[in-house]
Amino acid sequence: MSTVSPAVTDAGERVGLGSRLASAPWPELAAPLGLVALIIVFGLLDPTFVSGGNIEAMLQASAILVVLAVGQTFVVATAGIDLSMASVMTLGAIVLGLVYTGTDNIWLAMVAGVAAAGAVGLINGTIIAKGRITDFIVTLGALSAASGLALIISDGKPITVLNRAMLKLASSGIGPLNWSVIIAAVVAVAAHFALFNSRFGLHVLATGGSEESARAVGVRTARVKIAVYTLSGVLAGVGAILLVARVGAAEPASNTSFLLNSVAAVVLGGVSLFGGRATIIGPVMGALLLTALVNGLTLLGLSQFYQPLAVGIVVVLAALLTRFQK
Amino acid sequence: MVKGKRMWVGSFAIAGLLLTGCSSSGDDAGTASASPAESAGGDAANIAAVIKGLDNPFFQAMEDGINASAQESGAQVTVQAATSITDTTGQAEKLTAMAQQDFNCFVVNPISGTNLVQALAPVAAAGTPIVNIDSPIDEAAAKEADVVAKTYIGTNNEAAGGKAGDYMVETISSGQVALIGGIAGDVTSQARLDGFTAAVDGKLDIVQTTSADWERQKALTAATDIMAANPDLKGFFAANDDMGLGIARAVANVGKTSQIAVISVDGNEDALRAVDAGDLTATVAQYPYEIGALGVQACEAVLAGQEIPTNIESPTALVTKDNAQQALAAFPAPFEEYQNPLSGS
Repeated sequence: MSTVSPAVTDAGERVGLGSRLASAPWPELAAPLGLVALIIVFGLLDPTFVSGGNIEAMLQASAILVVLAVGQTFVVATAGIDLSMASVMTLGAIVLGLVYTGTDNIWLAMVAGVAAAGAVGLINGTIIAKGRITDFIVTLGALSAASGLALIISDGKPITVLNRAMLKLASSGIGPLNWSVIIAAVVAVAAHFALFNSRFGLHVLATGGSEESARAVGVRTARVKIAVYTLSGVLAGVGAILLVARVGAAEPASNTSFLLNSVAAVVLGGVSLFGGRATIIGPVMGALLLTALVNGLTLLGLSQFYQPLAVGIVVVLAALLTRFQK
Repeated sequence: MVKGKRMWVGSFAIAGLLLTGCSSSGDDAGTASASPAESAGGDAANIAAVIKGLDNPFFQAMEDGINASAQESGAQVTVQAATSITDTTGQAEKLTAMAQQDFNCFVVNPISGTNLVQALAPVAAAGTPIVNIDSPIDEAAAKEADVVAKTYIGTNNEAAGGKAGDYMVETISSGQVALIGGIAGDVTSQARLDGFTAAVDGKLDIVQTTSADWERQKALTAATDIMAANPDLKGFFAANDDMGLGIARAVANVGKTSQIAVISVDGNEDALRAVDAGDLTATVAQYPYEIGALGVQACEAVLAGQEIPTNIESPTALVTKDNAQQALAAFPAPFEEYQNPLSGS
């Protein structure tokens, strides 16, 4: 059912459920099938890959990327792109670290971090929607501005966050599932319902499908855009919490690989970069695939120089698949 | 759609090729690690090393030292590195993945004081020895996660800065100098600047201290500005060679190579060449090659049941035009003899 709604709202190509199944949506299957293939290949090459411990480790390693990819998905579904996510996450982490150092209250610090990241998203969305400036330029500017701001307020210094709750977040959980994995899963499930079972999701996909027709039927597209960029900022803030928990410190040097990987996960997940067609499970699978790829290559002892190459090839191949569906 | 399907098959064929390419190297490690254990009757060292990004010659030399030392003693070692100096999470994920494998000692060079602590917790809990090299693990964070490293092996950065300061005094005897550090607040950078400052205290006049994030191009810009503001400047001290080379270029750009001394720390190969050519006045060489080698030796000593010191200082040496040739010939190994703290036992 969830797969039907985006197709129906897509004004460009109307595809029914039946013909959809018949014409196998390869772009959307790329990530899950790729993941299965990777698991089989790596599992055969090194049995450690499929051990319980390693699967837990991979899930934990993918938590941040899953959260970012979900945020990016909403933006891409409106035919936009948020290039600032990784540096907004850095800014959120720094604000979290500074507030924690100042108040010693980790909960307040988390809220402040998420709020700061959300605020940057709100500004991005407002400029894009009201100022009518290309998303690419606005978020590229925000990428630089947010990382600059993070450097300024932290004075370029990493802030160590030593807190039991944060330590627990990264090192314990329910059964084999780490808290960060649970948080990422909750975010993904909530996002799935928001995209497919709410008016908001309908408007997001409508805006991405065809902005003019959406406006014609009464969707306030400017508001939708502001909302998706704000959401992407907020999720970057959630990512910041997971990041600080993971590395035990808020670091002003931005972790640029998250930017490429968040877009890559969305593309791998079969989300159309032209907007209007999106799933949540796809990008989540994409994020898992990217993490599994790097994990597997590490276990095989391959030099890290090959890892970005492999990731790049996988992403471009996935994008090619999307193209062939047109 | 048929076209799409074909594309898809093609993509996996390529992925398959890539994977077979790497499987051969993976197999080596697997089979080779098994054989020495059989021949030696247990306790053969199978070491995992996780270091910083190999995009920097310093860590390349470290990797060479790790591999050479392991080869010499017949130990097995697998080296993994972060993709860049900011890849804190990626480095942690690599360590986490390796912790799943069958290694009996871990050599780690963390990007930050805390980024590997979480990933080390299960290693420490399993009782596998950890050897910390080059950049220290944050003590408070390590304690919180019950991580204890057997030893820390690294350069005494304050002493390295001091050697540079002494030579600066010897070279210019009096006048104004400027200091360019790495990322603001970085512990290593600060220790080097402190060492330098203490050595020149009362003898030279430090007019400015700034940071250039360890980057050559940023140091070039900063040095150009500082020279414009202080026309009488006689010397620069940089916390690493990359910045030192950037400064040397800035000095050469304004034609003051013979009037302004530039001294840096690290002893990278291109810095040694620059010292030999007279572009850079001197560098205080530290030996990442030795730090890596000592890391492997410390693992072997621990696995053999020996007691090792909790803090091991790796050697440093001042390289000037007089001994640059010698240093280059021996590179990446030290050109001066030093007492190996682990070989005495």
